[in-house]
Amino acid sequence: MASRAIAAAVVAAAAVAFPFAAPHAEYAIDVLFLIFLYGAMATAWNYIGGFAGQVSFGHAAFLGIGAYTTMIMIQSNISLWIAVPVSALLPGLYSLLIGIPAFRLRGPYFSIATIGIGEATRLIALNLNSLTGGASGLTLASAPPKVVLYFAALALCAASIAIAAWIKSSRFGYALAAVRQDPDAAETLGVATTVTKTQALFLSACVLGVAGSVYALYYQFISPDSVFGFSTAISFVIMPIIGGIGTISGPLIGAVVYTFVREQLTALLANFSNADLLAFGLLLIAIVVFEPRGILGIVDMLRRRMRAKPPDAVADG
Amino acid sequence: MSYGLALIYGVLKIINLANAGFLMLGAYVTWWLFTSFNIHPLLAPLAIVPVFFVVGWGLERVLVRRVLHAEPIISLLLLFGVWLVVQSLAYVIWTGDSRSIETAFIEATVNLGGIQLALPRIYVFAMGILVLVALQLFLTRTYLGRAIRATAQDRDAARLVGVDVDRVMGIAFGIGIALAGLGGSLLSLLFSFTPDFGHALSLKSFCIVVLGGLDSIVGVAFGSIVLSLAEAFGVRYMPASLQNLISFVVLVVVLVALPKGIVGTLRAMRRG
Repeated sequence: MASRAIAAAVVAAAAVAFPFAAPHAEYAIDVLFLIFLYGAMATAWNYIGGFAGQVSFGHAAFLGIGAYTTMIMIQSNISLWIAVPVSALLPGLYSLLIGIPAFRLRGPYFSIATIGIGEATRLIALNLNSLTGGASGLTLASAPPKVVLYFAALALCAASIAIAAWIKSSRFGYALAAVRQDPDAAETLGVATTVTKTQALFLSACVLGVAGSVYALYYQFISPDSVFGFSTAISFVIMPIIGGIGTISGPLIGAVVYTFVREQLTALLANFSNADLLAFGLLLIAIVVFEPRGILGIVDMLRRRMRAKPPDAVADG
Repeated sequence: MSYGLALIYGVLKIINLANAGFLMLGAYVTWWLFTSFNIHPLLAPLAIVPVFFVVGWGLERVLVRRVLHAEPIISLLLLFGVWLVVQSLAYVIWTGDSRSIETAFIEATVNLGGIQLALPRIYVFAMGILVLVALQLFLTRTYLGRAIRATAQDRDAARLVGVDVDRVMGIAFGIGIALAGLGGSLLSLLFSFTPDFGHALSLKSFCIVVLGGLDSIVGVAFGSIVLSLAEAFGVRYMPASLQNLISFVVLVVVLVALPKGIVGTLRAMRRG
């Protein structure tokens, strides 16, 4: 445990120091910003998708609502100090609204319903022209400097992981694990399964809302297809699975892999649209079939093998 | 297509997200056969159904079987991966441009007692009924069909009375995918399509299945009628771009008001 805490501290310190050490490495800062933002979102997706086993394909809805809330409030000259908390709260309220019907469905059914939720939300945003600017999106004239937003993303990522760590070790986390393993047994043991799942979804939606807020400020442009898009929703599913679904650090590891692979592939295969999704689809199948616990699962397996080695060595010698 | 979803769900107890991909693929294969080999779109199902059956069967053998005993979300994610691959492949091969099939047949209309009806719509409707009846007969009258239903009800009990459960599951998956391909092929006669074609439709067919109740074929047919009517009337009162929203609204209403689906609720009322 101690070695893990040290590793986390080193990574965090390096991330904080980076913009000071290399203030002109704009591309690297761009990529790191994306990693932290995706890491925060993937970790938040994992509260409900990993810990509770309720895979959601609709999380882009929360990101989008957060992003649009911030955009619209800033355009109406409302202070950021009000806009960001509201951007966290509105997706949270939205999650309660959809959680009530959606959690009547279990496991796989819930997942498919979330595809519908995401799609419905995108369509609404696309058609509410007066509020969202329709398909052409919204632009922002001025925003905080990118370095500030870099730190915002980093802080959000740290907060998201801290929440994950708290959930995992709390009574709440055990309730979620019980829901994942056997909802009936959990109910019998006195876990209010629907309430528990709704709480996890609420937390997850709030983090995504803030992420949407940071996203909107960083890029100063949002459109329904970017923040509400299905491929955005898919990326939240892919990252935790790559890293290790239901773990604390897995989603962040997945975000690192996802961001790098995507950056490389889009540069390499600019002529093929969706080549990155093809790669991630194949990766997803491979992970699920061979090692459903993702990269962390592979690491764990290797470590066990290493540990099993010494007795052999003694026998050989 | 909904039949395929219901069948795969019933037998394997997994939700097949890849169905949407194969639906889209069915539409593209129909288009490709037509434009490259000049094969009439109405003949395309003759090729699609057997080929897709084999593909589905192989998919079950090679991939799905490995995760059948894991947690349900694992198989869901696996098929989601398959869907991603199929859809991105379609983007790479056929690009994202919208395609449609145009022949004299597509434009034809018939006059039925003063009402102009598009011939392809009648044809697709008739095929839907035909497939429904054939599937119902297959599932109730043949040994294999009964074995599929037995496996759907209780895999272990089916194995105990001598059903070759492994074989049955492969066949059921194959039939499910073949029906998705057939559905796509038929729908390509009515709509233009992109590689994203299956996405909205998969939600619709899921909505239909929930409406009808998951294990009842007649319920599925009933659900599809209710949804089509809701869409047809809904469009009169709202912009057409929001049409896909209707299936979602119907889904929410059904989930909140009738969680057992329409057929389940009717059954409960009859009993109660």
